[in-house]
Amino acid sequence: MLSLYVYFTLATLLIGFGAYGVWRGPELLRRILALNIMGAGIFLLMVTLAYRPVLQGEPADSVLHALVLTGLVVAVSATAFALALLGRILQKGKA
Amino acid sequence: MSLALGLVIIPLLAALLMLLWPRLARGLQLAAALLCTILATMLLQLVQQEGSQQLFIGGWNPLLAIRWQADSVTALLLLLSAVLHLLVSGYALAVQQRDKLAAAFWPLSSLLLASLQALWLSRDLFNLYVCLELLGMVAVALVTLSGDKAMRPALHYLLFSLFASLCYLLGVALLYGAYGALDLPLLQGQLQANSLTAAALVLITLGLMLKAAWWPLHLWLPAAHAAAPAPVSALLSALVVKGPLFILVLVWTTLAPAAFLNVAAYAFLVCALGALLLAGVAALRTPYSKTLVAYSTVAQLGYAMLALALMLSFNLPVFTAALWLFVMAHALAKAACFLSIGEMQQTLGVKKVAQLKGASQTMPLAMFAFAVAGGSLIGLPPSGGFLAKWVMLLGLWQAQQYFLLLVLLVATLVSAAYIFRVVVLAFDRAEPTAPDFSPQLLPQWLALLPALAVWAMAFFSMPLLAILQQELS
Repeated sequence: MLSLYVYFTLATLLIGFGAYGVWRGPELLRRILALNIMGAGIFLLMVTLAYRPVLQGEPADSVLHALVLTGLVVAVSATAFALALLGRILQKGKA
Repeated sequence: MSLALGLVIIPLLAALLMLLWPRLARGLQLAAALLCTILATMLLQLVQQEGSQQLFIGGWNPLLAIRWQADSVTALLLLLSAVLHLLVSGYALAVQQRDKLAAAFWPLSSLLLASLQALWLSRDLFNLYVCLELLGMVAVALVTLSGDKAMRPALHYLLFSLFASLCYLLGVALLYGAYGALDLPLLQGQLQANSLTAAALVLITLGLMLKAAWWPLHLWLPAAHAAAPAPVSALLSALVVKGPLFILVLVWTTLAPAAFLNVAAYAFLVCALGALLLAGVAALRTPYSKTLVAYSTVAQLGYAMLALALMLSFNLPVFTAALWLFVMAHALAKAACFLSIGEMQQTLGVKKVAQLKGASQTMPLAMFAFAVAGGSLIGLPPSGGFLAKWVMLLGLWQAQQYFLLLVLLVATLVSAAYIFRVVVLAFDRAEPTAPDFSPQLLPQWLALLPALAVWAMAFFSMPLLAILQQELS
């Protein structure tokens, strides 16, 4: 039970840090990283929610696991896209 | 429901084939758009005859499966997006060589259509998130087609869009944690009015408002929409901002517990008034013609917000009809606005509103398209915009909201002011801006088509209202 609260607190903290970083900026790279931290917090929250039935001796909620996997794919491709865009902006700045 | 599956799979397949054989891209684009329009018409007929259709993807039971549902509003929206895609593709085909439209436009716009169609059909909170994310990424990729100058607005758009999706996802995770379901019809009526539900709904609403560019969260929209090439701006303003709006309406009409409705209605009302008046004034002040049209999108979304707020607080079916009529009329009119302004910008080689001087002489057809579409945005009869506004005024009269009647009148005057700002200049014949090359007729006609469609909406008001009422009964 205690571990559940530890994970929930951790997830909340990560989401909070991420949201603060996105809001505060101002560098674009920092915002991209902050979005990733926020995403990690949300995925941690979802995995922790999936873990709840295990405490009662039941199998973990596999729907949430599937959602996290989908979410990770989305997050990775979105980050790649954002970094590619940022690369183009910085290249143009140099030239 | 195989029709609905076809509506998503055809543009998806077309996009993949376009990437494999770029030479065939233009033909595939037209074929896919035509096929989708035909399928959407058939689906609309089917829904009218047999009621709403459902599909559980993969045949799983409702707790696990993703539910797709085609009711009459969804069928109308499917048809709307297919038709608009067809019209914009036609314009893009006509100007692609002159405007040096990047080859990536074809697969990306097909992907845009596929993700949008999936979004209209889905009734599953997580599936909606995936559709929303796809839609956002494709939209950003389309903005980058303008080249280097569009990179910065595109990245800002992407960051806002990602942040908004994460807010939405967090809200969905909280709801799933509390109620153990993602399927909207299963969740209907299950939500209790406690602080967890409130937090989840606030997160979902904030995320969607940011994505739909609702005032005061619209700041990313004018830069992104104005930076994109004209056919892309038309698609973005006409369709992409309507996706999150659709989810927002779904969430608030099916999920939200009754105790929250009043507070939400007030919040939406304040945002709606802000959008209608302040974004309208911003459109009046901006020096650039494309930014003017983009701000007008923010202002016009205010009508949709107002309709949603009234829907939540009065439970009168007219407001639901008004909301979807606004969405349709605005989509068609805004597409025509962006295409005609884009056409004038290209031909005259100008960006500022003031330089459109004498456009009624040099490019009468494009200016006519802008004026007709603008008439619908103002709400002048006969047009789809007038129909929507009329239905809304009827509702306000029934609900005895005389203050809002007055607000609507002021908002109409503001929109008339920014439309006439352009139109009046166009009729100023002294020293008109000379075109860079002789104006081409075909693109101007194609820009006029959506404007004529919004005109025609007024003549099909009875069947349209009948379809929307069918949904409500």
